[in-house]
Order: sequence, then structure tokens, then C-alpha cells
Amino acid sequence: MKRLESKLNTASAEFQANAAHNRKLAEAFKAMQHKVRHERPERDIQRLKAQDKMFVRERLKQLLDPGTPFLELSSLAANEAYEGDVPGAGVVTGIGVVSGREVMINAGDASVKGGAWYPLSVKKTVRALDVAIENRLPVVHLCDSAGGFLPLQAELFADKYYAGRIFRNQCMLSKMGVQQVAIVLGHCTAGGAYVPGLSDYNVIVRGTGAIFLAGPPLVKAATGEEVTVDELGGCDMHTSISGTADYPASSEEEAIAIARDIVAQFKRPDKTRTEWLPPEAPFYDPAELYGVLPRDIKQGFDIREVIARLVDGSRFHEYQPAYGKTLICGYAHLWGYKIGILANNGVLFNDSALKGAHFIQLCNQNRTPILFLQNITGFMVGKEYEQRGITKDGAKMIMAVSNSEVPKFTVMCNGSFGAGNYGMSGRAFDSRFLFSWPQSQISVMGAEQAANTLADVKIRQLARHGKQLTADDVAAIRDPVVAEFKRKSSAYYSTSEIWDDGILDPVDTRNALGIAISAALNTPIGDPRYGIFRM
Amino acid sequence: MKPTTNSVPDPAVLEATRSRAASWPFRSVLIANRGEIAVRILRTVQTLGLEGVVVYHAADRKAPAVQMADQAIEITGATPVAAYLDAKQILAAAKSSGAGAIHPGYGFLSENAGFARAVAEAGLVFVGPTPEQIELMGDKVRARAFVEKGGFPVAPSAIEDDDPATFAERALKVPFPLLIKPAAGGGGKGMRIVREPGQLKAELERARSEGQRYFGDGRLYVERYIENPRHIEVQVLGDAHGNVVHLFERECSVQRRFQKIVEETPSPALSPELRKRICETAAGIAREAGYRNAGTVEFIFGAGGAPGTGNGAGNPEFYFLEMNTRLQVEHPVTEMITGKDLVLEQLRVAAGEKLGFTQEQVTSSGHSIEFRIYAEDASRGYTPTTGPVLVLRPPQGEGVRVDSGIVEGQDVTAAFDPMLAKLIVTGRDRTEAIARADKALAEYALLGCITNTAFLRRLLNHQAFVDGAVHTGFLDAHPEIAAQPELTPATLHKLLAASALMTKPMRDVADLVPDMHAAIGSWSN
Amino acid sequence: MHHAFKLEENEYNLELSRGPAGYRLHLADRTIPVNLHLEDDGSAVLTVNGRSEKVLVATRGDDVFIHLGGVAYQLRYEHPLQRLAAQAQGSAEDHVRAPMPGSLVALHAKPGQTVARGESLLVMESMKMETTIAAPRDGVVESVHFAIGQTFDRDALLLSLVAAIVEGKKS
Repeated sequence: MKRLESKLNTASAEFQANAAHNRKLAEAFKAMQHKVRHERPERDIQRLKAQDKMFVRERLKQLLDPGTPFLELSSLAANEAYEGDVPGAGVVTGIGVVSGREVMINAGDASVKGGAWYPLSVKKTVRALDVAIENRLPVVHLCDSAGGFLPLQAELFADKYYAGRIFRNQCMLSKMGVQQVAIVLGHCTAGGAYVPGLSDYNVIVRGTGAIFLAGPPLVKAATGEEVTVDELGGCDMHTSISGTADYPASSEEEAIAIARDIVAQFKRPDKTRTEWLPPEAPFYDPAELYGVLPRDIKQGFDIREVIARLVDGSRFHEYQPAYGKTLICGYAHLWGYKIGILANNGVLFNDSALKGAHFIQLCNQNRTPILFLQNITGFMVGKEYEQRGITKDGAKMIMAVSNSEVPKFTVMCNGSFGAGNYGMSGRAFDSRFLFSWPQSQISVMGAEQAANTLADVKIRQLARHGKQLTADDVAAIRDPVVAEFKRKSSAYYSTSEIWDDGILDPVDTRNALGIAISAALNTPIGDPRYGIFRM
Repeated sequence: MKPTTNSVPDPAVLEATRSRAASWPFRSVLIANRGEIAVRILRTVQTLGLEGVVVYHAADRKAPAVQMADQAIEITGATPVAAYLDAKQILAAAKSSGAGAIHPGYGFLSENAGFARAVAEAGLVFVGPTPEQIELMGDKVRARAFVEKGGFPVAPSAIEDDDPATFAERALKVPFPLLIKPAAGGGGKGMRIVREPGQLKAELERARSEGQRYFGDGRLYVERYIENPRHIEVQVLGDAHGNVVHLFERECSVQRRFQKIVEETPSPALSPELRKRICETAAGIAREAGYRNAGTVEFIFGAGGAPGTGNGAGNPEFYFLEMNTRLQVEHPVTEMITGKDLVLEQLRVAAGEKLGFTQEQVTSSGHSIEFRIYAEDASRGYTPTTGPVLVLRPPQGEGVRVDSGIVEGQDVTAAFDPMLAKLIVTGRDRTEAIARADKALAEYALLGCITNTAFLRRLLNHQAFVDGAVHTGFLDAHPEIAAQPELTPATLHKLLAASALMTKPMRDVADLVPDMHAAIGSWSN
Repeated sequence: MHHAFKLEENEYNLELSRGPAGYRLHLADRTIPVNLHLEDDGSAVLTVNGRSEKVLVATRGDDVFIHLGGVAYQLRYEHPLQRLAAQAQGSAEDHVRAPMPGSLVALHAKPGQTVARGESLLVMESMKMETTIAAPRDGVVESVHFAIGQTFDRDALLLSLVAAIVEGKKS
């Protein structure tokens, strides 16, 4: 496998300007993430202290193996919802290493609204458990939640992917033999009680932990019975009388130590064997990714410059280098794992779509996980391309992507517009993990195009009524549409809505993908099987 | 290159003794002792072609002497120590093993006249003095009177009981400063120092009331008080034919809780004239007693301006303290500078031979220091430590001798005296000996039970020790030597690193992490 | 920082992790690359911060013995579960331990007996000296772990105390 040769002039003004621009974006992202992770109103910090509780980040530090990575998922979930008042959607999820096992962490953050579940908290939790199911990752639940946020209960309670799905997913995991341990660090009330209840093991902290279907006030209201928290669902009651909880702990630290010891009892997964070579750092510095990405999303760049800064030794075996050149396909190793890469180098034409569909089948045939690097404005439009069957060629690619048995990973490197999003394994296509770079955008079409389309419709309507629009009128129609489109196509909106598994600083992508691939190999890869390819 | 230290014993002496030993009245020697001294004695016994028999308590089953002996016989007791004090069992063991002589070593039964007598009555040879000599020297009052009568120096004193009416008067005749001691006392309680004759009366009153309070006995005695005294002793050797020689002195001033820790020869406190005087005094006392066997005459020594001692002006003085009628723990330093094997000489004398050399033929060359390796924690008031001997690496090298009673796999328990071994380091001069000792102590590794080697190094490198300016109260005056020095962060990090890497639960946590995650390390997106 | 070692009277929290080559020692204020390679002759090469030196190491139970730079050290490992459980079960004052090796010569308290701080609990003998062990706090004797005449090592648990009154919620 030969090394890609970078054509980039890192001394050029263009490179320097790009680097400065993208570095600033990455810094802004990191600053925002830091705020979401660590900054809380003083009263919330004081409340935790008064309750003798650790901050969720401290709990994670104690839980995770020292000197090991933690791939946090959707760190900026809900950052554009609820007026920004629910940082991280009040939940911390991610893949970490506990007692040498890769596990999914699902940790309530009691410093955010007492850990109340908002609709996006539920979505984030369900997604984390979906990841656990798809990748057979044991789960450690750190339970500290006040329960569902009642004013928004209609948006989190009853629908298929609402709160019930959390418990359904726990049951699926259990059936699959994927183990779960819950640490009860606060009150687990009502539905929340089922998180420890449905875990294979649970640990409860004396004094602060409690499990019950209804707390003392509700019990009093319902039956008139007066009862204390400890009597109703405290540590000693549940571990010695009801058997609802397994291990009593006298402190959070002890509870976490016990949970670590429980995870140490878990059977370690038999990893799916795929091609692997000893890892090698990329030859080209990943930090140069900042200079690769253009300042203007409309400006093109060679995606091979990105590949060269992600993969082992910057080595790449390119498939069909002379055919369908707007879609780069080929093999590489990432943290030692062999992967197939599909990466956009322009709009998808018939040949590039066919090449992509073919390459996906190759990867399935030889059990090679696939990485999609999206920078796509869509499939080519126009009479010539429709006559050549661009729709049915695109359909072939989507068919291959959808039915792919090998795990897929997607990085939104830059633009992701139109059906290109689908062909390149967008969110709906069950990539095991999907990450976005800070400047990337997703929408059905570009903001300008969309605004023009909408303005044209309006102009034609008015013209039918014999009305003429001034330039100001057109601007008044276009500008709000452009603004709204821009907001909702930004990576920050996408990640707020959990359309991805989080924004990544580009330099972090290699590690994130390594951890993701390793997790994905917990699940066996099925034999390739597809639907009908429209020929 | 000529070695810088003597070989002990001289090979020619050994060879000659071996051939004569074939006709000794005993062909087998039972060693009624344990630990390093049992090994030490066995070595000479076996080198001479004699059979070595040891008795041992079960707690010593793994001890090297038991492994080394030609015969090892188990003895029992209410406590392990009691077993080694049980004369009956030991004599029975001697009988059953066919031993013709018993060597008592030091401690235990070594200065028990009754035992010496019982050995003789059993028709066996006791490797030691006559029971009468043991009795004489074992009674401190009789010994002192005996020595004084012979015209040898004893500390001037006045005993109230001799004549209570004239006590105060007699006390005033003792040269000042004085030390008042309760007759019934011990452990330093009720002792008072009097520097001015005018204060004597008042101090006697106080001491009497203290004695009354502590011991219910107000009787007193006074003796000459020596400031910063040194403990100097002289090795003597006598045969059954009236010959007595000395083998020079040993300085044993570095003590903790009245027990010696470091002994050396020659003493840095003595001028050649003084050395001659004190050694001849010791030989004279032994001669006066018709002493047979190896023995040690102990003196208290006040430098009073002797070179290099920093003890102020005055005349050096020394007084008889006591005589030990046995082989001494610290005998090896004497062996190293004289080239004489003291155990060999003891056996020769016991076999009835005459001393093989005259006083003129005893010479001294080089400087030798012994360090007692104790299982104890100096920083905790020298409290004993216990534990298994997991790793044992005694030092080696030129001028380094280790007399050890332990091996890997043995347990150090509280059942016995905490002395595990002795490191004897010899050089051409004191400076060389100290340098070799520092290296040897650093190399002396014993894991599983804390020992005093680090403390001994701190002591060795203390300026006062380097200058030879020590006295029996030296360690009390310098508690910083015993204190655990502050750990540097670098040392602490090394210790924690090694500990963590040796601890399975910690290593498991690290080793179970998958390779890639370990390589990525503490990263988060 | 779950794991800990005790050296003399001090407790040090630390963690160990594995790096691409060797290990990392995580202390409260720093992370240090470390490694330990056991040689055939029973010695070991300890590498800390890239600097190597020869040491001797041995373990027995939770005790680690290290001969380093001419000095022998003894450290005791404290397993997180033990340490945290012990913290939960009350202070070290509940456990009366032997200050030095020795034997029990007299017992002044029996299980169930209420004792006041400073009251004599037992007398031990070491180095021919008797040492009286007094109650570190007010409490009730829960159990006595040695009989008269028995010998023990330093730090052996001689006697356990419990609080005289059942304490309420942990403050």
C-alpha cells in the first residue's frame, strides 16, 4: 500500500488562511464544549455539595480506567434547544474503558435541572443504548435523575422512540447477553426506577440513593401513607429486604469502586476478526487538516488530503483511480484496522455512483468496515444525466449502503446536501457512528438555492395575480429563509438535534474512529445480502 | 596484589591445628546456640575436621546452622528461647550425638557456671572458662573487689550499706563529678549527677526520696561520674597452663538502649601509650584470675582531653567495668586485625593445648568495624520488626565479611533477639574501612523485614562518627540519626512506581486495557 | 484515584495505566512514564521518567519491599474496595493495632464492655518491656483478637471497638 502524496503547499497563503480560520472554529467548538461540560450556575454546584454528591465529570473520572480514552457522544446535544438551559441535554454518554472493558456510559447530570429528562435527554439516552445494542457494548448507568420534565412530557413519554424505548433497549441488551450495571447515586423515581431495575447488577449509595415508583409525597397523596425516603426505597431496604438493589455502598466512591469490580466480572467480547496490521501514525500531520478545509463551503478540495491525515502511514490503496473520479474509493488502515473508504471529490455522477455501489459490495464481500467521508452537493441533475439513469444509479448506491452488513462510519467533513447525504450513509442509514466537523453543513439543498427556490415560488404566485416585486420585497422573502436555512443546516443545529453522535475537532477524528471501529467489532458481521439493484 | 586485610586464620596455623586436632580429646563439638554465632562456630569446627552438631528449636528449622551442621537435634521449650536455655535437653543431645565438647557461643548458657559444671560432670569438655571463673566474674561486686584488690583501676565509689554512718563523708572523697544511684534502682531512675561538693548533701536527700518513691528503698551509693564515657574493651586469651595474652582493644561506644551497635578496632580514642596501658591492664586482670578461654575485659573510659574526642581538658581515665567470660559478639573485628581465629584458639585451649603464640607475636594491622544488622526500626524507637526473609543479598567485596544467621525463606520473629547478622568491614585504615562499610551497607539487601542498615549508614556518615568522637550517649544526643529522613519526591515516585508495578490488582487494571486504547491514553474528544 | 499505598504513616493515592511502551504512573499532580523489568537474577530494572536503575523488589500479600539506592522500604497496598469499605465502617480508631511485634500479657477489657478514651485495654510485651494499650476513643469493645500469651506482628489487629451509641445518618 503506497503512501498518498500530498499536493498541499503548507507554506501557501491559502493554506495559512484556511488553517487560521478552521483552527478558530475548532477552538470555538472546544470552548463551547468546555462550558457545557464544566460551567454550571453556582446554586447547582452548591446543591450537589450539600447533597454530598460528586459532579458527573468527577464520577466519570473515578469510574473510567486511568490513562484510557473516553469518546463522548453528542456533547453538544440540546445546545440550541430549551434556550440553551440544558447543556448536553443533562446526560453524559460515551464509550470508555472500565476494568479493561469497552463500555457505554450513560450518566445523568444532576447539576442540570436536577438531572430531569427533557425530550432530547431521552433521545440522547435512547441513542446511547442503540449504540450499545448495535455494538454489543456493556453499559454502566450512573443514575441521578429527578425524572421526566413534566411541562414537556408529551414530547418524551409515549412515542416509539420516547422514554419507554430506554427500558425496551435495556431489555434487548439483556436478552442479547450484553451486561449492564447501574449505580444509583440519586433518586430513581417512576420510570427512572427501571434503569437499575432492568440492569443485571446495581449498586446503591446509602443516604443519597433511592429507588421507588413514587416518592414519599406522591405516596402520601395517593394512599395517605407517611414514609421516609430510606424506608420507601433506600439503600438498606433495597439491598436487604426487597432485593431490588444488589450492592450497598457507603459513598459514591465506594459505589463506583464496586461497579468497577462488577464490570471486571463481565465476560470480554470475542472481537470479530477483520484485517489488521500494527498501527502507524499518519505520515502527514493531522493538524494540517485545518489548512486543507476551505474557508468557503462552496470551494472544492481534494478529499485525499483528508484521507492522508487520518489513516495509518497516510497509506491508501485507491480502487478505480481513473473511473468515477468524483468519488474516491479505496482501502487503508486506521489504528491498525483495515477499512474501505468512500470519499467525495465532487458531485456524484453515474460512474461515481456505480463505482461506489461496486466498492461497497467489495467491502462486504471481504468483511471490511466502511468509512464515508462526506463532502457532497448531491447527485448530478439535468437531462443528460437523467437519460443516463442518474436516479437508478443513485438508487443502486443507496441500496448497497442500506443493506451493507459491515459496520459503517460517517464523518461529515464539509457539505452534505440532497440525496448525496443518503448515498454517503447519512443518519438514516444506520452508520454505527456519525460525526461532524465544526464547519460542516447538512440540508436538502444549499441555503442560497433553497431561498431562491422559495422566492421564485412566491414571485410566480404574485405574478399570477399581476403583482410585481421590488428588489426589497424579494430580499424580504429571501433573507429570513436564508438565515433560517443557515441555522438549521449548521453542524451545531445538527448536533443539538442529535442527528449525529457529536461534533469532532478534525484532529480528534482518527482516535474517535479507532474507538468506534474497535467497539463495532464486538458484533459479528453477517453475510452480504441486498435487495434489487435497479439495472 | 597483596590483599589489604588479614586472612583469618593464617593458613599455616589452620593446617597445623588440623593435624593436631586429630588427637584432641573431642572429635565432635555441639554448639549450644543459634543464629549467626552457631554458623560462625560451625565454620571453624568443620574447617578443623571436627564434626559439628547443633541443637535447634522448631522456629529455627530453616536456619543456616541447621542446614550446615553434620548433625542437628531438635529441642523444645515453653518458648523458643527456653529451649536454648534447657541444659538438660542440650546435654542429652550431646550424649546422643556423640559430641565430646560443647561450645556455648554467647548469651544463653555461655556464662552459666551451673551449666559449665554440668558439662564437665557429664564427661564433656566445656569450651570456656572454669565454673569458678564464670562465678567470680558473673558477680559484679565480687569481680570489682577482685580487680581492685589486684591493684587495677576501678571507678572510685562509696556504698552506703558498707557503713551508713560515714556514707556522706566517704562520698565526698570520691573525685567529682559524682553520680548518685539508688541501691535498688535501675533504668536510670533516681540517678543524680553532682558536680560541686557543696551540693552533695542536698542531692543525696533528693535521690533518697526519689529512690523511696520509685523503689520503696532509699539506700544509695555514689560513684565517679565520667562525662561522655566511652566503652572500650580488651580481648584476652588464656590457656590452662597460665599463659595469658591480649589481642588489643575494641571500641564499643555506639550503643542504643545499652546495647552495642557498632564496634571497631583500634579505638580512635586511644594514644599508643594509653592503648598499651589499657591492654596490659586487661591482660593483667585475666592473668590474676588465671583465666582460661577467650574473654573480654570491659572498661569505662573518660577521654578527658585525649586526641580527637572533643571531650574537654583533663586526664584520660579508665576503670574496670566487668569481664565477659565468653566469646563476644564483636570478636570478628579482633580477628580481622590480628589474623587470629578466636574460635580456633578457644577450641585449642579447651583441648588442653598451650597458646600457640606469645604476646609479642600478636600484632595488629589495619582497621576493622563491625555493624550489627538488627531487625528493628530505628525511627520507631528501635522497636523490633518481623517478617519473612524474601530476598537476601549480603554484600561482597574486599574487606567485607558477613557473619549471618539467616537465609531466604526464613521468618524473622519476635521470639529471639533481633540481631540477624553482622557486617565486618576491614580496611588499611579507618577511612578505608568507613568507605567500604558505606558501600557494603548500601548493598546489603534484605527484603521482607525492615532492618537497621539505612540507619547504620546515616550513623556511619555522621561527622562525629567520622571523627571518632562518640560516647555511649551519642545516639541519645543525636536523635536525628535514628529519624527517618524525609523522602525526596524523586525517591517517592520511584517507590510508588515499583510498588504499583509489583501489585497485581494495579497491573491487571493496566494490562486489561486493549492495546489501542492503551496507546491512545488519556484522550477525550 | 482508587488505589493507594501506605508508606510509614502516609497514604499515597495513585493509578497505573499502560502506554504504547511501558506504563504510566498517575499521581494527584502528575503522570510519569514508568516500567519495571524483572531480571533473571531476581533483581529488577526500574525505569522512571526515562531513567533506569537496578532495584530489588519482593512482595508478600499486600506488602511490597523495595531496596532502592541502598535503602530498603516497605509499602503496603490498599485495595480500593478494602480501603473504601474501611472508611465507611468508621475511623481507624475503631481498630486497635499492635504498635510493634510482641505478645499479649494482660487483658483489661472484654467484648461488650464500655470503655472510655484513655482507659487501659490490654498490656503487651515487646523487647522485655511492657506497653499498655489504651482506648483511642470512647466505645464498646466489639472483639478481642488475641489470647494471653499469643504473639503477633506489628499492625496486627488486637481489638475492635464500636461506637457506644448507634450513630444516626453519616454526617
